[in-house]
Amino acid sequence: MDDFELSELWSQYNEKIERANILNLQSWVLHLQTFEYLQTEKVKSRLNALGRWKQRVIILGLLWVFFLVFLIVNSLAWSKIFFVVSVSIILGFNIYAVIVYIQHAVLIAAIDNSESLMEVQEKTARLKASTLQTTRVMLLQTPFYATFFWSFQWMRESPVSFWLITFPIALLLAAGSIWLYRNIHPGNVDRKWFRLLFSGKEWTSVVRAMQYLKEIEEYKRQ
Amino acid sequence: MSSVSNDPDFLALIFENKGIILKICHLYCPDKQAREDLTQEIVYQLWRSAKSYDRERRFSTWMYRVALNVAISFYREGRRRIDAIPLSQFHVEIENDPDDDDVYKERTAWLQNCIKELKEFDRALILLYFEEKSHKEIAEILGLSETNIATKISRIKEKLKQCILSK
Repeated sequence: MDDFELSELWSQYNEKIERANILNLQSWVLHLQTFEYLQTEKVKSRLNALGRWKQRVIILGLLWVFFLVFLIVNSLAWSKIFFVVSVSIILGFNIYAVIVYIQHAVLIAAIDNSESLMEVQEKTARLKASTLQTTRVMLLQTPFYATFFWSFQWMRESPVSFWLITFPIALLLAAGSIWLYRNIHPGNVDRKWFRLLFSGKEWTSVVRAMQYLKEIEEYKRQ
Repeated sequence: MSSVSNDPDFLALIFENKGIILKICHLYCPDKQAREDLTQEIVYQLWRSAKSYDRERRFSTWMYRVALNVAISFYREGRRRIDAIPLSQFHVEIENDPDDDDVYKERTAWLQNCIKELKEFDRALILLYFEEKSHKEIAEILGLSETNIATKISRIKEKLKQCILSK
């Protein structure tokens, strides 16, 4: 089979495809009111789709942030210094997450499809995959969930339980979260522990996006 | 939305080039229902991206970029009736869809099946090649170098020939 035959085959296929008419696309395309209607409905539809998952996460995130602020404001005392510092750090992480989450939603919606295929597909995949970046940063807050109940009084009165149990647990959590922070990256996407950690439904698209990024890179190189 | 998108000339241009939408939908969507959703999504995204169209440049290049990007994303997400909206009287219906007795028979069906075995970027590339776009234009649409395009085209053509002959 030569190139000419291949092109001939395509022409035959094309003719048959061209015979398939889009019944009322003409009136649909030319009807300006339809476009206004379409715009409104599509935007509504997209917001609804966004709302089902992302809006809920953003609202929950904001509620959590307000709750943490409330706790801090009502605990400003030297005796609660560990609590205030720990919760403030946790608050910082959560504000970061909410901002990044909103930013991602806005950036994904603003992607310009008229850019080249490689650019658009890479940008989209990178944005989706960046959820993982936020997650690894968020993991760094874990040890502070084991420090907010510390107090100087506890250290003085029960040094054994504090230094032998509570303190090592916090250290362990810190070491674990730092290890995860350093090891959660696209290079480890095929590792067993990685797949176990990110096996949920919500993670599928993130992991797929990371694999897609690899494919795009390979495609550009080939 | 921009005035460009509501410009009758712009909308007429979309209609004049509706073949592009049709071919891309057939290339990335195996079933009719999904094709209708994809058609709707592509037209919507063309309208939405209208302000990025530079009238000094070729309309079809811009249209291919938007339509292919939408189709590839749609295909990768395995989307089907997720955010397509019922348009009642404005419903986009693909009529006289090529049926099993028509397109899907003989060698054209082999070609179609072989193209569908290709990866999404290769499908886009071979479509543009068959549509007689220059290497420069294909490179512009895909965002790759002309040399890279030339190498890939000959590789894909070879793959297609082998695939058709093996059928």
